Amino acid sequence: MARLAAVPARHARFVEDKHLAALATPIEARGELVYRRPSHLEKITIAPAPERLVVDGTALRFEHDGRVETFDLVSRPELAALVEAVRGTLAGDLAGLSASYAVALAGDEGAWRLSLTPRSVALARLLRLVAVEGHGAEPEQIDIIEADGDTARMRITPLP
Amino acid sequence: MSRPLRPLLLALGLAAALVAGVFARVDLRADMADLLPQGVSLSQRLVLDTLREGAAATLVLIGIEGAPEPVLARLARDLAARLTASGAFRLVADGGAGADPAALEQLFRYRYLLAPAPPAAFTAPGLHAALPGLVAGLGSSAAPLVKRYGLTDPPGVFAAVLGAWTGEGRLRQSGGAWFAPDRPADAPRALLLAQTAGGGLESGGAALATIRAAFAALAGGASPGHPRLLLAGPPVFAAEAAAAMRADAHRLTLISAVSVLALLLWRFRSPAVLAVVLIPLLASLAAAALAVQLAFGFVHVVTLGFGMTMLGVTVDYPVLLIGHRKQGEAQAGTLRRIGPAFSLAVLCAALGLTSMLGSAFPGLAQLGLFALAGVVTAAAVTRFALAPLIVAAGLAPVPLRAPERLLRIERLRRFRLWALVPAGAALGLLAGPHGLTLETDLARLSPVPPAALALDAELRAELGAPDMGEILLVPGPDLDSVLAAEEALMPRIAGLEAAGRIAPVTLAARLLPSQATQRARQAALPDAATLAAAMESAIAGTPFRAAAFAPFQADIAASRTLAPLRPQDLNPFLAARLAPLMLHVGPSGAGERWFGVIAPARAADGAVLAGALGATPGLMRLEVKASADALLAAYTAQAWRWLAAGGLAVLVALALFLRDPARIAGVLGAIAAAILLTLAALAAAGARLTLFHLVALQLMAGVGLDYALFFARRQLDTEERARTLSTLALCNAMTLATFGVLALSRTPVLRGIGATVAVGALAAMVFAFLFAGERPATISLSERTEDDPWPR
Repeated sequence: MARLAAVPARHARFVEDKHLAALATPIEARGELVYRRPSHLEKITIAPAPERLVVDGTALRFEHDGRVETFDLVSRPELAALVEAVRGTLAGDLAGLSASYAVALAGDEGAWRLSLTPRSVALARLLRLVAVEGHGAEPEQIDIIEADGDTARMRITPLP
Repeated sequence: MSRPLRPLLLALGLAAALVAGVFARVDLRADMADLLPQGVSLSQRLVLDTLREGAAATLVLIGIEGAPEPVLARLARDLAARLTASGAFRLVADGGAGADPAALEQLFRYRYLLAPAPPAAFTAPGLHAALPGLVAGLGSSAAPLVKRYGLTDPPGVFAAVLGAWTGEGRLRQSGGAWFAPDRPADAPRALLLAQTAGGGLESGGAALATIRAAFAALAGGASPGHPRLLLAGPPVFAAEAAAAMRADAHRLTLISAVSVLALLLWRFRSPAVLAVVLIPLLASLAAAALAVQLAFGFVHVVTLGFGMTMLGVTVDYPVLLIGHRKQGEAQAGTLRRIGPAFSLAVLCAALGLTSMLGSAFPGLAQLGLFALAGVVTAAAVTRFALAPLIVAAGLAPVPLRAPERLLRIERLRRFRLWALVPAGAALGLLAGPHGLTLETDLARLSPVPPAALALDAELRAELGAPDMGEILLVPGPDLDSVLAAEEALMPRIAGLEAAGRIAPVTLAARLLPSQATQRARQAALPDAATLAAAMESAIAGTPFRAAAFAPFQADIAASRTLAPLRPQDLNPFLAARLAPLMLHVGPSGAGERWFGVIAPARAADGAVLAGALGATPGLMRLEVKASADALLAAYTAQAWRWLAAGGLAVLVALALFLRDPARIAGVLGAIAAAILLTLAALAAAGARLTLFHLVALQLMAGVGLDYALFFARRQLDTEERARTLSTLALCNAMTLATFGVLALSRTPVLRGIGATVAVGALAAMVFAFLFAGERPATISLSERTEDDPWPR
């Protein structure tokens, strides 16, 4: 975690595969991730449809279809926990993650796996598990398993 | 304490005890509604009810600015939660209208009954057309929301329901709060609407205190930024006006009391004179409050405020008595000289005030009775109780210096015909094109500062809240009939909106359709087999699995058998949202009447709507502001007629008691000239005559009559004339001190009264001296015994 916390900023490409019960075929999304310490996270999706999701502190800004929606994460604890799973991991913020999740770390510095299990019933109604895998200071893959069994796997490649 | 002062102080104590005793029992009210007439016709009653406690009258517009948007959003949400919990508000809307989970759940469950589905929404092509959007949604970051509300509702009916109930449109939503549109990004402003639970000044004031306290508690911990609270709306205006008036009254009363005190001490060189002045004042206050309490069942604070101002002039009575007393004189001597003029002045003042009793405007009638009872009591106490006390205390003005100066002053009367020039000029001005107009705009009576009105207009425009200047009422015997009647109007209203001829309006039926409409929508829903077949062919060739829409199909099946949603079944949050759109008149049960309220958002929309819907049976167009203004104009005109009648009664009294045509002409000429000059001064200042000016003119005429009648006494020796001149000058100075200070008030109403009375009293003093007194030549010839002032 300490090595994760030592990285001041990240810029990466991602490819996300969603497997939804509603759809017979998975949906693939691709784009870029930007993270700056301490609390700036940006997810820019290029395909299948362009959208931009920016989190700064507790302010979440969602741009899609030419519309802009803003949310305050304080009033949306579930959304906040979801954001925190990614941002807290990138920040190496174990204390922050532990507020919402039971955190389990397995493996070694060469190849590690961080498992996040929701602590609250409300969050568990939404989310079953978030698992992050990586090596060294680089997270490589984030798996999100929702309560209804739908899954999303995001693979991350650092950009120079 | 010297022995002769003891009776005086005992009397003062008695008067003070009287005031305390009366005010312990008086029912003091501050609700402006108590001053308004009840209204005769149904539409008048509706107008006045709307003004009093309608949605518009109880609406508080709240803005928060001065911090970054997320901070403001959180403040707005927390403030809304605290206000809702306080119970002081009927409705708090903060843009999180869908945030109440139970309300959201109810709207979602009844979605296919509450809003129309697009044509062919449940056919295979209709359903198929919705699928690409759903796929895109599932691919986006909003996928959890699409799974919850999209897959269960491919036609997107819930969005329409939510839009109607949360009031889509101008406002921008951010972080679960409303934000003003069209503001720079670095200066956002969060907006809330709150409706106080009760009408009236008291509940309004308490509600505002709740808002301020809640905001202070929340904003203290907010960072970054220094959030500011902006408040507007009728309850705010009422409370602020009352506070401003109270503050003014305290400050100005202190200033005028100190100056009156100084004048009295300078003239009489005895602190005992203060007791003399206070005794009739306190007694009159007690009598006035008691009379109003007995006649009306309560005393309004406005009556008390203005009434006390009017009673301020009764300070003249004891001053006239002491001022005319010679050193060491017995009471009979003084009374013989001033008695007739004193009695006639009081009689005329009483006659003038009696005319106010005739007003159908309860506020004015109450004020008239208050002043009448007060003036008569003050005069009686002065005449019968104070006269012996003054003699016992040995009070009299300091001896005058040589009367030659007086004669020099009186020589001015030789030029009195010249004084007709300003009076004539005043008449000319009033008759000309820039003469006086009656104030017919109720809003202009409002003591609200322009800055507050501007803030109100700004917040109102940002929130899209109607100002209720005009409403259309759709009648019906019960709620459901009103909803059905509104639905019949809806195609035409929608046509006007679509053509851009009116801004969108909110109708109760747009939120909650009638039972019949809900049943019709249910009947149009497909049965399970039809829908399943349509769904199956719709998803052919798409990535969707059949099971994805099982919850949707179950919801449609459930919707077909739901009992239609009635107003009384609504979740409390939703019921509060619907309440302002319905107006209820009459007792519950048989004979009750319901009205659907259509409040046009823009001023010009009312006429367009009324024109388009004109033929609808029973539809009422209520021009709230225009009707209220017309009512006010009618009452103002009536009050002026009564004032004229009172003036006529005074005229008769003067003719009967003075008899001598020359003296009648002198007294009337002085009063008429003073009134003309005052009115001309008002016209020149661009004032429009209100009910308050009427009260002020009456006051000023009463004071002027005192002067004229005392100057008009005849056959007085030089010494007595000197006493009269100096006493009246003192009275005039006291009036100027009191009302001149009032003219400095920040409250327009008080400023108007103060300026009118001050200008009028000064003019009356000058004209009474010139016209009502005798010319010096006559004086020297007819100087006779002072004991017989009235020639038989």
